[in-house]
Amino acid sequence: MSVKTFQRGVNVPHYKEFSEGQPISTIALPSEVIIPLQQHIGAPGQALVSVGDKVTAGQKIGESSAFVSAPIHASVDGTVTAVEPRPGFTGASVESVVIAVDLKQKEPQWTKRDHTAMSKDELKAAIKDAGIVGMGGAAFPTHVKLSPPSPIDTIVINACECEPFLTCDHRMMVEMTDALVEGAKLIAKVVDAPNVVFGVEINKPDAIKALQSKISGEKGLSVVNLEVKYPQGSEKQLIKAVLDREVPPGKLPLEVGVVVQNVATAIAVYEACHLNKPVIERVLTLSGDAAYSPGNLMVKIGTPISHVLKERGGARVAEASKERELSLPPDLVGKIIMGGPMTGWAQSNLSVPVVKGTSGILLFSPTMVTETEHSDCVRCGKCVEHCPMFLYPNYIGQYAELGNYAKAAEWGAIDCFECGICTYVCPANRPMVQFVRETKKEIAAAKAAK
Amino acid sequence: MPGQDMRLTISTSPHLHSQDTVPMAMKDVLIALLPVTVISIYMYRFYAVFLIAVCMLSAIVFELVFRKVMKKEATLFDCSALVTGLLLALCLRPGTAWWVAVLATFFAVGIAKELMGGLGWNRFNPALFGLVAITLLAPLYVGINPSFALVRPSFGSLDVITQATPLALMKQGAFGQLSLSQMLIASPGGALGETSALALIIGGIYLLYKKHISWHIPISIIGTVLVVSAIWTPAGIAAGIPLFHVMAGGVLIGAFFMATDWVTSPITTKGQIIFGIAIGILVMIFRNGLASTEGVAFSILIMNAFVPMIDRLTRRPKFGEIAFGEAAVPAKPSVSKSS
Ligand code: SF4
Ligand code: SF4
Repeated sequence: MSVKTFQRGVNVPHYKEFSEGQPISTIALPSEVIIPLQQHIGAPGQALVSVGDKVTAGQKIGESSAFVSAPIHASVDGTVTAVEPRPGFTGASVESVVIAVDLKQKEPQWTKRDHTAMSKDELKAAIKDAGIVGMGGAAFPTHVKLSPPSPIDTIVINACECEPFLTCDHRMMVEMTDALVEGAKLIAKVVDAPNVVFGVEINKPDAIKALQSKISGEKGLSVVNLEVKYPQGSEKQLIKAVLDREVPPGKLPLEVGVVVQNVATAIAVYEACHLNKPVIERVLTLSGDAAYSPGNLMVKIGTPISHVLKERGGARVAEASKERELSLPPDLVGKIIMGGPMTGWAQSNLSVPVVKGTSGILLFSPTMVTETEHSDCVRCGKCVEHCPMFLYPNYIGQYAELGNYAKAAEWGAIDCFECGICTYVCPANRPMVQFVRETKKEIAAAKAAK
Repeated sequence: MPGQDMRLTISTSPHLHSQDTVPMAMKDVLIALLPVTVISIYMYRFYAVFLIAVCMLSAIVFELVFRKVMKKEATLFDCSALVTGLLLALCLRPGTAWWVAVLATFFAVGIAKELMGGLGWNRFNPALFGLVAITLLAPLYVGINPSFALVRPSFGSLDVITQATPLALMKQGAFGQLSLSQMLIASPGGALGETSALALIIGGIYLLYKKHISWHIPISIIGTVLVVSAIWTPAGIAAGIPLFHVMAGGVLIGAFFMATDWVTSPITTKGQIIFGIAIGILVMIFRNGLASTEGVAFSILIMNAFVPMIDRLTRRPKFGEIAFGEAAVPAKPSVSKSS
């Protein structure tokens, strides 16, 4: 078996054992959902409903006329109780529609249609209407990505799931293989790409097997085995590994004839085209060394984190599970992260809702929380050795620390995609990702001022 | 804000961290130096114990004093002062006066490290800087030496101390008295850290295994010394002269413990190889051409000075700047971002 990969990167512990064997399960509905009108990169949606309106699951409640945007749908039947800013996972407040959930929910009826008979434009319209965005976390509107100005020859399905702890893509590959393959073929059809490649890390042998048996005999479809290495699932590194093409700095994958989509996104595309079903729920991984009952959960968009924790017993304490009470004893939970541990966001407010890009909720015990002071760079070279973009994180950090952002940019801060490796490996504990973010902000501000 | 839980830690990604820390790495260097330390103590008894104690203690004192005077936080916990102290002691010969050792430590920890801005900002390897400083100052203090006679401890005489170093023996043409296998395992002559090649190699392998150093610098130094000495004196190959050059006079301790110093070596692997080869060549020039006994120390310090230049010259392009896969890419009109 040949196994491909990219240069540099790093091996991080997987921690997948907590949840990789857990089939996707559903949780009870919360009493209230909070649906942000911006869950994507691009223009925020305008609310289409107002307080007191009755809404049904799948109804469009937010939209923007801008091309780079994605509509927002109600995830449950209920009544709008507020349209106001609410805290989001980044810490900033986002205009949100708050819906009190009806006790009696009708099972949503989706109207099946023959997706194979749909034209390219019909497919793209369906994808846009369903509000699909990159569900691996980037949340870039999918219909925009599928409108490339130049020809595309290959669709790469990002099935690496290289972030530790996360297993939701893995479970979907195993349990929803048909939808995944159909979705990938639909994406290829939209952009006229003759080839579809599934890039899977070899720590998911059951997923590789399921995919292989599903696509055997199909023309243009293939599975590529990838080494288990972080960040194998980053677009540029994935394309390099799978096709040996390098996307130039500052450019997009379409530059080399490729569009990358992740597993959950491909499945959403299938559901949008075949069932006319918008993105109102997603699979996410609840895990972490402090999680009482780790698993892969189908969760309605807008569900507060606190509800998910309550349903799954919160922290790893027996009492909590018995009483199904949200319990976060400070000696058991030190940090709650939305997303993966390498790129996710730490949360302090548990009313923050699950959005389209939420791939996981992680509970870390205090022993996993490494908050130590950083010291000066000791020039060990580890960050330089492992940076998958071949940047110089050491100099970026040193110059940003001195406030010399122009120099920090010169050493590559702008090309950094914040994978977190430099900070992970640094023996001096230097927070390079933070320095990179500062630099990007300062440089953008300086440009705007010109 | 409702629902805010102040007990939860908020910090930017990543939320995982490797087990590597500076203090751990420094402790591993101390562990890696243990074998050669033990052998030198076995060889030189109290002379070795005394020098090691003096250097390590004064390293701690100088670090504390300098940081206090410069109004900086104490950084003893990073253990780098202990490493510098031990390395310096291993560079000294048994019988070195205690105040010379203290002076060397002052130059190493006080001047080369703390005055330069502390760990990370020093240009030169502190231990080697201290060693070279006292070597260069030697003519100045010959006169003062006797005034310390009263405060010089005596541990009785040990004839191994006055024994000629292997390098000196070779220079005198007395190569026949040396046995390579003896040098490999344990032999007196020279500095504390030159007593056993094997102990140094074991320590070096430990550091490689722990990934604190990479093979590039040690191998390129050792390889270069082997090759250059073989070219220089082809007749000596059969007698093992190239191997002798590697095992004698601090090449191994320099290659594994000094030149690999994170702070004072190049940041990229390409730069590290250039650095190593240049050190190897300089060592051989010092030995064969200039007859200096501290050739390794001088060579490494000289190359320390060139590190910024090597870093500049070996600056690598970013990912995608050179399209390796260009041939595989269909020609396309260049487009800007699709948004
Ligand atoms: S500089 Fe950016 S791309 Fe490079 S390792 Fe650090 S976070 Fe990753
Ligand atoms: S990993 Fe940290 S200490 Fe090492 S070179 Fe990079 S910034 Fe400096």
